[in-house]
Amino acid sequence: MTAWWFWPLFLFIFTLVIGIISPVSGVGGGVLYVPLATVLTPFNVDFIRGAGLVMAVTSALSSVPYLLRKGLANIRLYAVIAPIMVITSVIGGIVGLWVSNALPNGKYYVKLLLGIIILLVFFIMITSKRLEFPEVRDEDVDSWSRKLGIVGEWYEPSLDRIVQYKIKNLPIGMALFAIIGFIAGMFGLGAGWANVPLLNIVMGAPIKVATATSMLIITANAPAIGIYLAKGAILPVVVVPSILGITIGARIGAKVAEIIRPAFVRWLVIGVLFLAGVLNIIKGLEGLGYLPHII
Amino acid sequence: MAEKIRVDPMALAFAKLMTIFTVVGIILMVAPAILYFMGQNQYIPLSKAMYYWGNSTVKFWKNVKGITVHGYDWVFKNLQYTDCQSMIGVILLMLTPLISMFAAIAKAPSKVYAILLLIASAEFILSIILKGIL
Repeated sequence: MTAWWFWPLFLFIFTLVIGIISPVSGVGGGVLYVPLATVLTPFNVDFIRGAGLVMAVTSALSSVPYLLRKGLANIRLYAVIAPIMVITSVIGGIVGLWVSNALPNGKYYVKLLLGIIILLVFFIMITSKRLEFPEVRDEDVDSWSRKLGIVGEWYEPSLDRIVQYKIKNLPIGMALFAIIGFIAGMFGLGAGWANVPLLNIVMGAPIKVATATSMLIITANAPAIGIYLAKGAILPVVVVPSILGITIGARIGAKVAEIIRPAFVRWLVIGVLFLAGVLNIIKGLEGLGYLPHII
Repeated sequence: MAEKIRVDPMALAFAKLMTIFTVVGIILMVAPAILYFMGQNQYIPLSKAMYYWGNSTVKFWKNVKGITVHGYDWVFKNLQYTDCQSMIGVILLMLTPLISMFAAIAKAPSKVYAILLLIASAEFILSIILKGIL
């Protein structure tokens, strides 16, 4: 059997690599970490999901203050969405742990569902458009956004001017955020993959604002950490090397992003994501006895 | 040169507290964990845990410590151990958005925002307490 220190060391190197490729590819670290670590390490999926959630929240906490000061993350949107996401992410966390602990073969159901969700993320990533500056006319702004004064501005260096923006479809957005919160809490995935297209395409936030506000919204998933902690699903041996790896890797990745071709890396990562989704589905089906053991 | 933008005072208050507590949370998590990895005062012995960390959480705790974990007691009742001390950092990180929301409430631009943030804060606190009980 491998010595105990091998796996934290592996997690550190593994998350360091994820941290480096994440800013280069535009694919969030959490969404890669959970499905790949579930397949590549011996840790139970509960411990991986717990660490994935702590990692997603810590990454968001580290970047959000800067984004708020630059005017990119919109705290008014957060104030509306947080009360919804806090509740649904907690419910998702409870359901996820119940499925893996209370049901016979529960961990295989979780792996199967995780694989399906990952493939859904894959399809969203390859099909969704990114609108730099979506046009939101005055008549498009819904009455809730208007009453709450959800507007913002930031200085855009590529245009050398201040860009102002408005928001539309707030009620629809709130309903969709409830669903995203549930999935994020259940699988410890982080939610940037869904937050960004929702804010950008459905609600009309410019892509930079959507990305930054998504990070702010991810902090609303923090109470779901409590569920994993209260069930003993957060272990330093998994969490600490993962957080150190992703934090150091993200700093290196920000520099690397300036010198290599992001499109190539983005497609490489999307390919890995597809593979992780398929592997989780196969492992789930194997565990449930629907497939013979092939991996 | 960047032009001056208007940033919500609510956002600035939120950002300030978040910066401070995130740094403190990471330090509190990592420092005891280093001692834990060096073999100092382990509540969950790594040499034993490695045989069971592929089990579900329930089986893991049964096999490693002979207990069923329910709530936050396993952390707070064992603070003499380095791995449980490391969890204090995780708890502080979990509470950081809540602390930041309190700061934002004080600078809310209207009663509606103050109420929305109060609701989110109440849900936040309630869900953390419930998780310790359920």
